Amino acid sequence: MRRLALGFLLVAAACTEEATAPGDCPNFCPGGQIVVQDSIFTTIIERDSSFRGYVQGYQAQAMTAADLAGVQSRALFVLNSMITRVAPKAGDTTTVPIFVDSSRLRLTMVRRNRATTNLWLKLYAIPTTTDSTNSFASLDPYFAAAPIDSVSVSDLLSRPLITDAATLRIWGDTIQTDSAGHVLMTADSARILTLFFDFDTLQAPFVVADSGRLGLGMYVTADSFASATFGTTEAGSDAPSMLWYYHYTIPDTVSGTPDSVVHVSQVRVPKFDGFVFDPPTAPLDSNLAVGGVPSARSLVRVTMPAFLRDSFDIVRATVILVPAAVPAAAAFGSPADSFTVLARPILTDLGAKSPLSGGSGGSVVMHPGSTDTVRIELTDLVRAWATDTSIATAFVLGQQPEATSFTEIRFYSSRAPAFRPALHLTYVKRFPFGEP
Amino acid sequence: MTLRPLVALAMLMAVLPSGRLAAQDSQFGIPGLGTPGKWESVRARSAGGAFAPFDAFSPLMDASLADVRRMSASVTSGTSWRSIDAVSGADVSLRGTRFPALVITGPLAGRISIGGGFATYLDRSFGIITHDTVDLRGVPQPVTDEVTSDGAVTDLRLAAAVRLHSRLAIGAGFHLLTGSSRVIATRRFADSTNYRTSASRDEVAYEGQGASISALFDVHADVRIAGWFRSDSKLRADVRGRTAAENDLPRSYGAGVLWRPGGQAIVAGTVSWRNWASTGPGAGPNAHDTFNWSLGAELGSASSPIRFGVRGGQLPFGVGTTPTEIGYSAGLGRQFSGGRGRLDLGIERLERKGTGLTERVWTFLLGLTVRP
Repeated sequence: MRRLALGFLLVAAACTEEATAPGDCPNFCPGGQIVVQDSIFTTIIERDSSFRGYVQGYQAQAMTAADLAGVQSRALFVLNSMITRVAPKAGDTTTVPIFVDSSRLRLTMVRRNRATTNLWLKLYAIPTTTDSTNSFASLDPYFAAAPIDSVSVSDLLSRPLITDAATLRIWGDTIQTDSAGHVLMTADSARILTLFFDFDTLQAPFVVADSGRLGLGMYVTADSFASATFGTTEAGSDAPSMLWYYHYTIPDTVSGTPDSVVHVSQVRVPKFDGFVFDPPTAPLDSNLAVGGVPSARSLVRVTMPAFLRDSFDIVRATVILVPAAVPAAAAFGSPADSFTVLARPILTDLGAKSPLSGGSGGSVVMHPGSTDTVRIELTDLVRAWATDTSIATAFVLGQQPEATSFTEIRFYSSRAPAFRPALHLTYVKRFPFGEP
Repeated sequence: MTLRPLVALAMLMAVLPSGRLAAQDSQFGIPGLGTPGKWESVRARSAGGAFAPFDAFSPLMDASLADVRRMSASVTSGTSWRSIDAVSGADVSLRGTRFPALVITGPLAGRISIGGGFATYLDRSFGIITHDTVDLRGVPQPVTDEVTSDGAVTDLRLAAAVRLHSRLAIGAGFHLLTGSSRVIATRRFADSTNYRTSASRDEVAYEGQGASISALFDVHADVRIAGWFRSDSKLRADVRGRTAAENDLPRSYGAGVLWRPGGQAIVAGTVSWRNWASTGPGAGPNAHDTFNWSLGAELGSASSPIRFGVRGGQLPFGVGTTPTEIGYSAGLGRQFSGGRGRLDLGIERLERKGTGLTERVWTFLLGLTVRP
């Protein structure tokens, strides 16, 4: 009897079940069916607007130099001031002047057209007073002078890798170099290039009156599609940096031994960096603008139909945008100037100052010159709208990263009935539970 | 084994099955209202169901409660292994454990006895998976649909029986049909990058009422006959407080005869009818009136009998011709603690056939009856 009782308990505990079988429909399936529908909602996007001024060129994570048909752009930066005197002995109030011997500039080219041939980078001296108020026209004369240095990036890339132990010890990696002493280090499968320029005091003069500040402008040329983007201080380690090599003398006022000379170096990064280009970004119009400098964003508001919240489960949502066919508004640049357009949710709708939400949005890569219809997947965002009625049903179109290039795209807005933005939804009708 | 642990076990089993009171699933119940439960104790079911009208612990008839002279409780459990052979080639094996019936009964006063408990009225537990390809945005998109339902319509019974005469007992019962099923419909897309899985979840609540009357008559000291009738109201299915469907439930009636040819042998036979075809537009043309029969015997002493039986009949839902069911069962019982407890074991083999589908079921039955 104890065994029987044990068996009883085992059966009671063994309530595992496998009740799911392949369906043999329609004979042995529930009466209802899972029905999926697909519709393009052409009128639920409305009250869409564009705003400019979110990120200025000097606030961007990169700066672009380009020489393209229809647009010229120059990257530029002004280095922070350098020390001009040092206290040779700790605790001594007496200072001695420093004497700069040479300098090494490091630039990080974060993006370029890899198909471009004969790509040259040329460096020009620009005023140390250069700032965000300078325009392309005001700086153009300085680029008409002789460059202080120039390097063929294409040539450097074709040079053999130097892999000896001494090089690895000094540089920490393999390098490529040319006869002029320019050094190239590559990263991320040669997508990112780090260039080193050695300057003497004629090329990069250390002017005590300017506290060692130095302004440099970058200009690129190539056989075609000359365009390159460099990291800025906002990008952290990709920022330009100048290593000043200098010496000073410690005077010996006690013994008869000669004065000792100390050789040291210090790094300076820019206090200002940015880029100027011509023609300037076109003013906003009735279309939806994304990108440019200062960066423009577009706020797109969606009126969700009530039936989508109540009776349907959205499984895919795609926003459809038609690039505006206005030549002046089309994105321009080289093929390498492609950029990402992000559609990001907002926390609340405050117009131009709507704070962005960390929720999931969508993105698409734009190629300059393309007039193809743009589709951005926003499934997770629209599903969130359907389930949470407290969420603002709007999203912001913005460039990623912003203001690093002159490139801009404009889409037709809801004010253009034939080409207005639309939302393409695929949704599943609620299953008719309860019916046999 | 002492009685106290068994009482505790019976109470545990009574508590455990909340929400899982289904008797026995069947693919034939999916397109209809569900799979009708078997209102039989393990003792009755081991004998093909033939003893159900005469067994106080089978929730089929109320008049049989008049035979109970002490407070008693009985619980039934069953573990089924089901194989399905579909014409479409979808062969699969399924399993499930259920507690399809609980009866608590005892004398109230004089010749009146009352009882109650639950039984499965309709089982609504199933799951199906289908594969298809739909055209979405101009691209053929493979999809996998899964619809699952877990629950049942439970028959809560409150019944009374009275022995009007030494040969005649009658009974009546009120039935509250209640219960719910958790239902989930899921569609998964092969292109999971662009398409999210859609899952609809709900709980369907069922409600209905019913009444039953029955009578037992001893024609002879060794021959007893039984008859019963039951009528139920509409079964209402509510989803989120809204009535999603209302279906008429069938009237049930039947009769049985029991014969004691000797001191250690009992033979019984039962027939029953249910007019499921009137269950309303929801069931549609695939609902059928059913006729079922059973024949069984119990041999040996009352303390440790062996039982066997055969049953046959029809199932209420199926495309085309009415699905049929044939079953064979056997079992044994063992009293303990001086007759205060009884353990019943049984095994049942069912074969159901319908248009496009054959279903075979092995069920292991375990029942416990205690008389504290």
